[in-house]
Amino acid sequence: MKISKFKSTMFLAPFLVCFGLFWLAPFVYGIYMSLHKLSLTRGNMGFSGLHNFLDLFNSESMYSEAFFLGLKNTVLFVLISVPLLILVSLLLALLVDNLPKKVQGLFRTIFFLSYAVSVTSVSAIFVWLFSGNGGFINNTLVRMHIISQPIPWLEAQPFAWIVLVITTIWWTIGFNMMLFINALNGIDTALYEASSIDGANYWNQFKSIVFPSIKSVFAFVALTTIIASFNVYGQPQLITKGGPTQSTKSLIMVIQQTIFDGNNLGMGTAMALVMGVVVMLFALAQNFLTREKKELKGDKQV
Amino acid sequence: MRHSKKINVLLVIVAAVIAYFCLIPLIFMVFTSFKGMSESISSSTLLPKIWTLDNYVQLLGDVATAPVFRWMLNTAVVTVLGTLSVLAVDVLAAYALSRLHVPFAGKIITMIVWVMTIPGIVTLFPSFYMFKNLGLLNGFVPLMLPYTSNAMGVFLIYNFLKDFPVALEEAAIIDGASLFTVLRKVIFPSIKPVVMTLGFITFLNIYNDYLWPSIVIQNNEMKTLTVGIGSLVMGANFVNPGVMMAATVFAVFPALVLFLMVNKYIVKGVTNVGIK
Repeated sequence: MKISKFKSTMFLAPFLVCFGLFWLAPFVYGIYMSLHKLSLTRGNMGFSGLHNFLDLFNSESMYSEAFFLGLKNTVLFVLISVPLLILVSLLLALLVDNLPKKVQGLFRTIFFLSYAVSVTSVSAIFVWLFSGNGGFINNTLVRMHIISQPIPWLEAQPFAWIVLVITTIWWTIGFNMMLFINALNGIDTALYEASSIDGANYWNQFKSIVFPSIKSVFAFVALTTIIASFNVYGQPQLITKGGPTQSTKSLIMVIQQTIFDGNNLGMGTAMALVMGVVVMLFALAQNFLTREKKELKGDKQV
Repeated sequence: MRHSKKINVLLVIVAAVIAYFCLIPLIFMVFTSFKGMSESISSSTLLPKIWTLDNYVQLLGDVATAPVFRWMLNTAVVTVLGTLSVLAVDVLAAYALSRLHVPFAGKIITMIVWVMTIPGIVTLFPSFYMFKNLGLLNGFVPLMLPYTSNAMGVFLIYNFLKDFPVALEEAAIIDGASLFTVLRKVIFPSIKPVVMTLGFITFLNIYNDYLWPSIVIQNNEMKTLTVGIGSLVMGANFVNPGVMMAATVFAVFPALVLFLMVNKYIVKGVTNVGIK
């Protein structure tokens, strides 16, 4: 079977063109921009070398202050949200997997449903659920005499973080759960039966059959969840507006404000590049950790 | 796994309670959209005491602030055309890379894997600036085309095709079928589940995208539903939760209906995504 090089390249060409225009060009251009003094309204004001990056790591600079505040908030969000997003979705998947076959589809659909709601709609709903003044949750809690004063969910910490994490769990849990459910479906049921006969309880089964079988999915879910949580933007932007006192202002919000409110495009792209490196380091660390665990578990299984 | 009847009943009850809490935000949204202003800010029950359509009347009357039907139309155009372009570009590329002996195929795959690890935020603002310099902001082009650079789709389909036997295709080609015919009649039926899943994920991805469309679109008429609802939440006009929820109902239902329709097909397909 001989296909001319020209013909085969024509099949690849649309992707290469799109990739070149919408990924490679902005990527290279972004590096160029970060090395320039650049603003949205005044355009390019000349080459500035590493000035933007040096400024970013100079503790006296206001950009540095803003960036590291955003980084601190974002890392905090990653640390709180990621374990919950993985654990809760795994528990839900285990629950669905153990339900009688007849109702599995129904509950899987219900738990997955919120994934189809856009972040702005999610935020609109949760703002009015949690609003300090006249919000549904405060009204309900007061009426049930669980609290006597409304809780300032969006105006004080740690409530603001709690609301953002609950919102994110509700919104995104379904996708991770689906990945786990599919991994669980792949496990040979004979393994369960054999171990039950041997008198293994559920926890033992989980430790020695279930977890080892879904390890690779687990690592994948952890990786994508870390990256997604790093990119948190819509929820704090719309629900808490970065407050109270900038405590929930995420890194992307800082970058966006640097570019649009601060009118400093060069600095904004420099920040985005540094953020990209940070995310990649976290992803690498996670990859390294799960790989290590895999080998240890592998030894034990024998 | 088999359980005794007692345990089954218990598990279903637990699942039902969790399901109820999962559905509360959506139930709250629908019912609040039918409550009057004074009721919705003091209410502690989901069901309205007095049902009213005022919120919808007010929302649809205020076309300047919230042109929801225009936003819906924009969203439909962007998501459908955007998803189709991504699928077309990705299927062709994956076919070429896995089957047609493209020059440097191995190097291109390595590049794709590397690119997938680089976070999107790095290219987002430079892309915006390029579109701005080209005078293409506030149009459909930046809303649809940039998604076609997503390397993940190519990788997914490539991975799936790689393990697929080639004998049938070779036979078809010997019989004189053109490459396009082979792609349509032989390859496509076999990669359909991956393509469906990729289509579903891409569709929701474009539908849900917020940051990118919100920076390339300033014109209210050109906004997608997601961006439009975002601007309503940010704006000061919607102090009435009922009207806000009415707008949200418009934004949520199209995707929800589509989701329920394709849900069945997706369940299997998601397995293939990401994990090989």
